[in-house]
Amino acid sequence: MGNDVLRNLRKDFLVEFRSRFALNVSASFAAIVTIAISLTAGGVPFSPKVQAIVLWIVIFFSAMNGLSHIFVREEDQGTALFLRTAVNVDSVFVSKFIFNQAFMAVILAVVTPLYLFFLQVQVLHVAHFIFSVAAGGVSIAAATTILAAMVAKAGGKGSLFTIISFPILLPVLWISISSTSAALNAPSPTGGNLLFLLAFSGFISVISFLLFRFVWLED
Amino acid sequence: MKIISAAVKSVYILMPAAIVMAFLWAPPAQVLGDSSRIMYFHVPIAWVSILAFVVAGIVSILFLADRKGSFVMFDGIAYNSAVAGLVFTVLTVITGSIWARISWGVFWNWDPRETSIVIILLIYIAYFSIQGAMAHNDNRGRIGSAYLILAMITLPFFAFLVPRIYPSLHPDPIINADRTIFLDDRMRSTLAVAIASFTALYCYILHIMNRMMKLQNHIEETSHEAD
Repeated sequence: MGNDVLRNLRKDFLVEFRSRFALNVSASFAAIVTIAISLTAGGVPFSPKVQAIVLWIVIFFSAMNGLSHIFVREEDQGTALFLRTAVNVDSVFVSKFIFNQAFMAVILAVVTPLYLFFLQVQVLHVAHFIFSVAAGGVSIAAATTILAAMVAKAGGKGSLFTIISFPILLPVLWISISSTSAALNAPSPTGGNLLFLLAFSGFISVISFLLFRFVWLED
Repeated sequence: MKIISAAVKSVYILMPAAIVMAFLWAPPAQVLGDSSRIMYFHVPIAWVSILAFVVAGIVSILFLADRKGSFVMFDGIAYNSAVAGLVFTVLTVITGSIWARISWGVFWNWDPRETSIVIILLIYIAYFSIQGAMAHNDNRGRIGSAYLILAMITLPFFAFLVPRIYPSLHPDPIINADRTIFLDDRMRSTLAVAIASFTALYCYILHIMNRMMKLQNHIEETSHEAD
């Protein structure tokens, strides 16, 4: 299984590196939205709560532009059938899961500094802020991996991925916004929200792993 | 089978009994007065909406775990239960907002419980989006069932966790003057009968929907054979 995962990951990274389609779309979207918000705000800083909300809206929609690509591409290019027959189903899930986590990490690494720079965000608790953004990103990537597989099977139709992901991810966004807002201005933020995000990620990852074979394999 | 049929048909006795008890027998609550009678409809409807989604999730597990082809109709049953759940969730939102208007002066204020029920509504609307997108896809049942299981495991976060983490104005603290839930024996028994009657109503609706689905499948098979 380990070798299958590594081979699959290598292939996914190579294909993505060759076209950089998903990454370019997500990063460009993040940059355009962040600059648009900063421009329309006219340099006036938002309150910490609003800053946290807007940050997570930008992260969410940037991620939605790219996270489903890993499965939609396999179906579009007709390689899904080869993967299904040649590679163990659990290895496929683990490799796609790791790829999405890496993809999300890149999105966060692009979006967050841009956002802090253009919207003049003052972070009071830097470590808590970094952990909040990272934990939220891990949760989003964890929950969307299986949803991406479902959307790919449904033909990857337009905004379907966002429609089915948004309600499942709402608790993650809700808690991430609270945690990020606390990192920006609370006197002493607690780790309860981070714990919730990690628990949610673990829970949904396990269920996704168990359900993946029913989504991926065909009758 | 006769037991199930009798349980389903108990709605004919339970529902009128619940209505009479709610309006004529149960006393009004101390603070909310007669408007508290909406509780005998709102609480059972909310309970049934969660029950319907849990049933949809459990039936989906059986459908996916079935290797012998014994439960081939179960994805349809899960779909029907989700439809019933969605209707009851909309009714929960409507009755809840009427109660909120009476108690708080506004129909909607994003109270944690209101937020939770709307998120649950969105989750199941998304399920119907997937089903619609896969209308002629052979994997529709498997993917729909996988989504229903995923949706079911998020229910505890919304139905139980969120309302307890965030401060809420929901009637737990305001239904009585001492700011605790206190229902006297008549209120309790009315609520119990109302919950039983709405559960029977859900079973009745699901039973009819399943029978319609079987008939529809039978008609389709017969017309294929005739061709």
